[in-house]
Amino acid sequence: MAKILVVDDEEHIRLLYSEELSEAGYEVITAADGYKLTERIEKEKPDLVILDIKMVDYNGLDLLQEIRNKFYNLPVILCTAYDTFKEDIKSIAADFYVIKSFDLTELKNKIAMALEAEIPST
Amino acid sequence: MLVGSGEKPERAFMIIVAEEESLGGQKMFEHEVNPENIKKAEFVVAIPSYNEADSIAFPVQQADKGIQSFFGNRESVIINCDNNSNDGTKEIFLSIRSDTPKIYISTEPGIKGKGNNFRNLFKKIVDLDAKGVVVVDADLKSIMPNWIKHLGEPLFEDFGYVAPLYVRHKYDGTITNSIAYPLIRSLYGRRVRQPIGGDFGFWGKLAQIYLESDTWSDDVANFGIDIWMTTLAMNENVPICQAFMGRPKIHRPKDPGGDLGPMFRQVVGTIFNMMVEFYPFWSKVKWSKPTAIFGFGLGETEMPPPVKVDKEILFQRFHEGFDRYGRIWEKILQKETGNKLQEIREMDRERFDFPTHLWINVLIDFAIAYRDKLWGFDELLDSLIPIYLSKTLSFVIKTDRMSVREAEEFIEEECVQFEATKSLLIQRWNGR
Repeated sequence: MAKILVVDDEEHIRLLYSEELSEAGYEVITAADGYKLTERIEKEKPDLVILDIKMVDYNGLDLLQEIRNKFYNLPVILCTAYDTFKEDIKSIAADFYVIKSFDLTELKNKIAMALEAEIPST
Repeated sequence: MLVGSGEKPERAFMIIVAEEESLGGQKMFEHEVNPENIKKAEFVVAIPSYNEADSIAFPVQQADKGIQSFFGNRESVIINCDNNSNDGTKEIFLSIRSDTPKIYISTEPGIKGKGNNFRNLFKKIVDLDAKGVVVVDADLKSIMPNWIKHLGEPLFEDFGYVAPLYVRHKYDGTITNSIAYPLIRSLYGRRVRQPIGGDFGFWGKLAQIYLESDTWSDDVANFGIDIWMTTLAMNENVPICQAFMGRPKIHRPKDPGGDLGPMFRQVVGTIFNMMVEFYPFWSKVKWSKPTAIFGFGLGETEMPPPVKVDKEILFQRFHEGFDRYGRIWEKILQKETGNKLQEIREMDRERFDFPTHLWINVLIDFAIAYRDKLWGFDELLDSLIPIYLSKTLSFVIKTDRMSVREAEEFIEEECVQFEATKSLLIQRWNGR
């Protein structure tokens, strides 16, 4: 069972994602902010991270950079309420992005694609 | 006489030096000029060239500033790897005042090709035992010292290959946008936006791998070199990142409708050839993964200068292709693909639309025809040009009112279609 870490400062989003993604067969853990995020990833070893871009005390794009520098192949999906973040070139370091919605169909599709992505070792 | 920082090299100077080095009217050939007898260097900035006397001074000066500012604690050297230019490139390069030592190396007289320059460079990198190498084009007008930092620093951290990431005009780099980026991304699984960027960094130890590779070809010896190096790095599972350069790449502009022939053949031929060689690797790759991005904090991103496209020429060249290459297309394209091409042939120029799935099918058919040697390589690849130009026309029309960022989104969506069609490619490749 793939383990997903949801990082979002809105409690109702964390709850929604936890319920729906658990029902879809994933193990879900959550974080309410980006505090010591890379340490948490090191400890919990998630297979994928869903990251909110705009949190009260944290910029998701900066966290994405930290994750990408330390965990080269860890899939990260950015979640946002606005699509203006695409103006920031840092966003391309994410595997995918989704606009927040109560319908998680697109998010689930992107999770499946990101977890399926595979580059063989030589 | 030295060409100092910011000075424009004088033509008269070039003529004097050229005369001084003449012997009975015949210019003396020197494979290497190493004025400071440099035997070892940890960091190398390399500038490949052929007849770049008018432009090489600026990138050398910027590279020197970059090395002194950001790599001052490392033994460094600037290498000009040249095709024995006859316009005084060597003399200008060696005369530029720099704090970093310089080495000039050249291919033998009569041996041309960017890839041949790189082969000399690889040997030199091995000799110097360099740890990190940054390459920048000799005709760059927008390079800044921190380009050297961004392309070089990741090499001393965890990354073995650093590809450039520039903001380019939506109509600049159309071979990259239509062929190189989507194909390389879907084949090898890494999202490297500029796989033939011309400015990049790599681990010195990759030089030996490049020298020993048995995939070297005439195309690689020319303009196929950039895509070859990127693809080999991916196949070696070298950790790759992209460095954001902050400024657009400004160099000699190329009109997408202009004469493409040799460069197109060499780049696309290299991609197809690597597909044949590396099938066991790419057939196992699913979807794609992004890379880390380096080089932020440069302030506002400069927008690239506009690139004008002559839509009429693109349209004409496509239509002429039916007469000129109809026999080839008939032989190598699947029947449905040929029929679809006939369909879009009837479209008006202003409403011209080349569907992405058709373009993917065309590329699959051409890659298989290349592998199976269904036609002579040069003519086969030349026959792809009119179709590629019509795909470019369609892109120009569809993105006409889009911003650079929106056009990027469009390309990303096309890439996802390439990745989603990978199973079709594998089926077709295996003759099913």
